[in-house]
Amino acid sequence: MRLGEFQLSAELQGEGVICLAGKNGSGKTTLLRALAGFVPIAGGYIVVGGANITDYSVEKRGVVLVTPFTCFPHLRVDSHIMWGANLKTLRLSNESVSRVKSGLGIDFVGTVGNLSRGMRQRVSLATALLSSPRAILVDEAFLGLHDREAFISVYGKMAKEAGVDVIFSSQDEADGQLSDHLYVLNNGLANRKN
Amino acid sequence: MNWLRLISIASLLLLLVPVFVLLYYGLGPFRDAAGYSSEVFRSIELTLFSSALAVVTDFILFTPLAYYLARGNDRVAETLVDIPISVPHPIIGVALLILDSPVTPTGQFLLSIHINFYNTILGLVTALVIMSAPIYVKSMLPYFESKDPSPEEFATGMGASKLRTLFSVVLPNSYDGVASASLVSMSRALSEFGSISIIAFYVLQYPFYGVSPASVTIYEFFSGNMAGGLDAAVTASAMMILVAIPITLAGHLVRKRTGR
Repeated sequence: MRLGEFQLSAELQGEGVICLAGKNGSGKTTLLRALAGFVPIAGGYIVVGGANITDYSVEKRGVVLVTPFTCFPHLRVDSHIMWGANLKTLRLSNESVSRVKSGLGIDFVGTVGNLSRGMRQRVSLATALLSSPRAILVDEAFLGLHDREAFISVYGKMAKEAGVDVIFSSQDEADGQLSDHLYVLNNGLANRKN
Repeated sequence: MNWLRLISIASLLLLLVPVFVLLYYGLGPFRDAAGYSSEVFRSIELTLFSSALAVVTDFILFTPLAYYLARGNDRVAETLVDIPISVPHPIIGVALLILDSPVTPTGQFLLSIHINFYNTILGLVTALVIMSAPIYVKSMLPYFESKDPSPEEFATGMGASKLRTLFSVVLPNSYDGVASASLVSMSRALSEFGSISIIAFYVLQYPFYGVSPASVTIYEFFSGNMAGGLDAAVTASAMMILVAIPITLAGHLVRKRTGR
């Protein structure tokens, strides 16, 4: 995939959890936004879960971008985490919802806008997971979680069980240990490290 | 000495001179009982009612347009929005009159389905909507632009359409912006004269049968068509200002609270 305007080339392959590492300004966010359909690409294609989604509109891609600011502040926690699933009229058992909530440390209630940033991020990530997309792109939304490493591990495991790929950005290549695949963005190129 | 502040205050006072003049003379030396008669208050009532209806219509019909302009890049549409307020306002009244005239095909059609603009509340509100909607859109536009798009992108990524995102995600978190834009556009509707003096000089419908909008009533006093003359026109104008000021101030306060 080439991003003409930003002179960024990337060829990401792999399933499960992918870590996209790079310094500030290396293009991690731009790449994730391109995958989500918010930045046009100059060439190449995007295949997620076996489907070529290159020309799909954002709504049809099934790729959810989660950032630290993605929550819906007016909703209560339980309504929030079911938002995407309700939109798609997915029938989720109480057990599976409870499992995601407990696994991600969502043991709080209230209006999302009144929660701490970390709590909001947990809610947003749970919402994305329960909406059963093809892939979840996590741009900085794992930062600021007190149990970050354990959280990524649990989140990745749950996503794999649900057949959802996860790509998360990081400034630290060491985060590759938390993922199945590590790509490092440098000088406009994404290099695979494992 | 802060010359910028001095010049700014002087220019502001210049803007406010007509308001002060009307309040002083209308409530003082020129005070005339006809200017605060029941007819005037009925006029103000009609103006408030029709302006409020216009603002509700602005919200329903033009919030999606403001959002579309804020999140899209349609400069042509953004320019077109300004047209109704950039032409002489009586033109809009004439346009509505022709649109609904029994001698035009559009008028024949509209009248056949009982849509009549001439001297009706519908005509009055339609003219006010056309005159206030551009202000509403132009107020909502920077508000939407200033909002972080991340929650919207999150929603569309989960499959929500842009319209669904607007109503389920954006608007529930935009009460302050909507309130501010509504009050500003209501102020604009309250002050309209040009278009409504042609399409709805008075209203021939219950509960405002025979009542003219406030701006038309003031003009009627001034032109001598209603008893009271200039004194009554000045007094009625002062009354209208007293009604309009709280609405304008409320719009300003909401805007200030939202940091715009």
